[in-house]
Amino acid sequence: MGGRDATMVLLDENGIRCDGRKIDEPRKIMIRAGGLKNADGSAYIEFGDNKILVGVFGPRDVHPKHMSNTDTGILRVRYHMEPFSVDERKRPAPSRREIEISKVIKEALEPAVMLEKFPRTAVDVFIEVLQADGGTRCAALTAASVALADAGIPMRDMVAAIASGKVADTIILDVNNEEDQAGQADMPVGYMPSLEKITLLQLDGVLTPEEYKKCVQVGVDGCKLVYELQKKALTDKYFGNKGD
Amino acid sequence: MASHSVLDELKKNQIIELLEQGKRIDGRALDEPREISIEINAIPKANGSAKVRLGDTEVLCGVKIQPDRPFPDMGDKGIFMCTAELLPLSHPTVETGPPQAPVIELARVVDRGIRESHMVDVSQLVIEKDQSVVGVFADIVVIDYDGNLFDACSYSATAALLASKTPKWTMVDDKVTLVDGEESPLPTTTIPVSVTMGKIGNHIVVDPNADEWASMDARVTITSDSDGNICALQKGGSDGFTLEEMQQCGETSVRVGAKIREKLKEAQQAGQ
Amino acid sequence: MADKRKYVIPGDVVTTGPFRPEQNVILDGDKIIATMVGISEIYDDSVRVLPLAGKYIPKIDDLVIAKVNSHTSLSWELDINSCYVGFLPAQDVFGRDFSAHADELTSKLKTGDLVAARIANFDRTRDPLVTIADRDLGKIDSGVLVPISPSKVPRLIGKKGSMIQMIEMGTDAAVTIGQNGWVVVSCESPEGLLKAKKAIEMVNEKAHVANLTEQVKEMLEIKDTES
Repeated sequence: MGGRDATMVLLDENGIRCDGRKIDEPRKIMIRAGGLKNADGSAYIEFGDNKILVGVFGPRDVHPKHMSNTDTGILRVRYHMEPFSVDERKRPAPSRREIEISKVIKEALEPAVMLEKFPRTAVDVFIEVLQADGGTRCAALTAASVALADAGIPMRDMVAAIASGKVADTIILDVNNEEDQAGQADMPVGYMPSLEKITLLQLDGVLTPEEYKKCVQVGVDGCKLVYELQKKALTDKYFGNKGD
Repeated sequence: MASHSVLDELKKNQIIELLEQGKRIDGRALDEPREISIEINAIPKANGSAKVRLGDTEVLCGVKIQPDRPFPDMGDKGIFMCTAELLPLSHPTVETGPPQAPVIELARVVDRGIRESHMVDVSQLVIEKDQSVVGVFADIVVIDYDGNLFDACSYSATAALLASKTPKWTMVDDKVTLVDGEESPLPTTTIPVSVTMGKIGNHIVVDPNADEWASMDARVTITSDSDGNICALQKGGSDGFTLEEMQQCGETSVRVGAKIREKLKEAQQAGQ
Repeated sequence: MADKRKYVIPGDVVTTGPFRPEQNVILDGDKIIATMVGISEIYDDSVRVLPLAGKYIPKIDDLVIAKVNSHTSLSWELDINSCYVGFLPAQDVFGRDFSAHADELTSKLKTGDLVAARIANFDRTRDPLVTIADRDLGKIDSGVLVPISPSKVPRLIGKKGSMIQMIEMGTDAAVTIGQNGWVVVSCESPEGLLKAKKAIEMVNEKAHVANLTEQVKEMLEIKDTES
């Protein structure tokens, strides 16, 4: 962090970023609801070059029984990257980064999922990163939300996510891999659009107080764009014309 | 929940009744595999990849090729490793945590099928003898389960390896260095094809689907290479095969395997 | 009579104002918000959402098709296609004189058996109690299990049973519909069985389509002229 790579131009004189985008332009996003036969709910997302699959089971029995909660259901999230998803092959065992991201995503979904309706059960969210390119946790959270809706798990709201950041002293939307490595700040944001609450927020990098306020705003606005695609994914599957 | 692996009795009886008449529950012939669909380069950033669907079983293999240190007693050979993981989203009964014996068996059987055929010529993967070699890692993940993971995983790894491109490395001042712009197809010598047969009562069926898999008493996976030679075999399950059955399975696997080999070749052509 | 039906996803505001929130909606200030993917319905004084996805939540008196998972010496555990597992006590089948020493559970029901059952009791603090003690309940000896989404069951039944009767008459099949989305179809002729199965799967897939009844009717009739 902090503009280490002097050779890469992250923002040129025309305000164009290293992959040709404008400063407030997200990468190409495609979300599909459903697709897995055995999972109770599923979703697949392509966010730039990120390819992430999410499967949801639940509410279901908890084993071992002592892990269940008599007053409310529990949410379990596993964020996992395939060995071939990154540049240098990753060993299959869970890394500390994956464990932390699993927790952060779980806590971003908990405000939305109505677990109190299913005491003594668990809702399991399995996130598999098939190809990674910066911003996987935001893409994963976005897809997880769609998979939960697809599974028919009652939710107060959807949760949409995207990362804002800073390169060349400019606040940008949707940080890609190069910008994450060589830029000045990376801020993943998760947001519930109806209830207007931020449920995921992290920061890597240095921002002035003014930049910080702007960065959060840009992130939240970006989440609203992502939400439209979540809606489209569910609409296409459940309400769309099936060729009749 | 246990119930998903409990096949309801009515269905099990139907499967057996139909087999007595020489029919299968999904209308296939006894020696007919399901439709195989192969998508090459599903993961463009990997060196090679393939997504395979066999019925509703869906499996993805990504190949990573990168420099590595050779094994201590094999300084003149590159490294080939094949792993398989059952993802928890593929079936409600899959647990997270360290792999259990059935998954370890799956991974090792798939690895042996490819290794014993010498599909990947590891003697061609040396950068500097005893110092630095090329490692070829085929990692398979099961995304959706509908029976016969052995064959689906094997096809995905084979297809991914056939589609793989390897970069070139040389030694510069004793350091392994990538040579830009010199990618070439991974050298392969043969196309191994595995065929899994399940035994239900006295009947042998090729490519059991999930319901048949839950009904079978034993299974055998036989891998053959492009010359029609059998190079790997694994029998599993708690019942036994007669000598004649086992010999017949050998013949069936080579015959059925030859047709599947054509599909793998087609997919390789299409991907280029 | 509901008016202004709308497609909704979780978080969508169905309406604002003095309505009573019923199934699958919550009240936030004066906004009524959907909590499921489905179709919202606004009545005179209440609002609800008919879900298009989701598991079966047991309700007392529901008829369900269940599968025996396992058993102890005192009861069977049944898969009822829900997040909760059904509990069938031995007394329900053997009667009050049941004795764990003398009576072997597997003589009546074993793992893998399908039964037509009723939810006898349920609250979310314990597993649902199931009974097969009525004349129309008990072990299912023949037929094919066709699973559909529980949210599509009302559509499969139809207004006053119209949809399911049409399918039964058009195929000569006997269909038992579990509220939990599990449906058992039995038919003398394999063709009738297959046709009935296809019709049920069509309803499951196209429940939201306006002219579904026409489509199913057509499908049943077309096969008729072909055979």
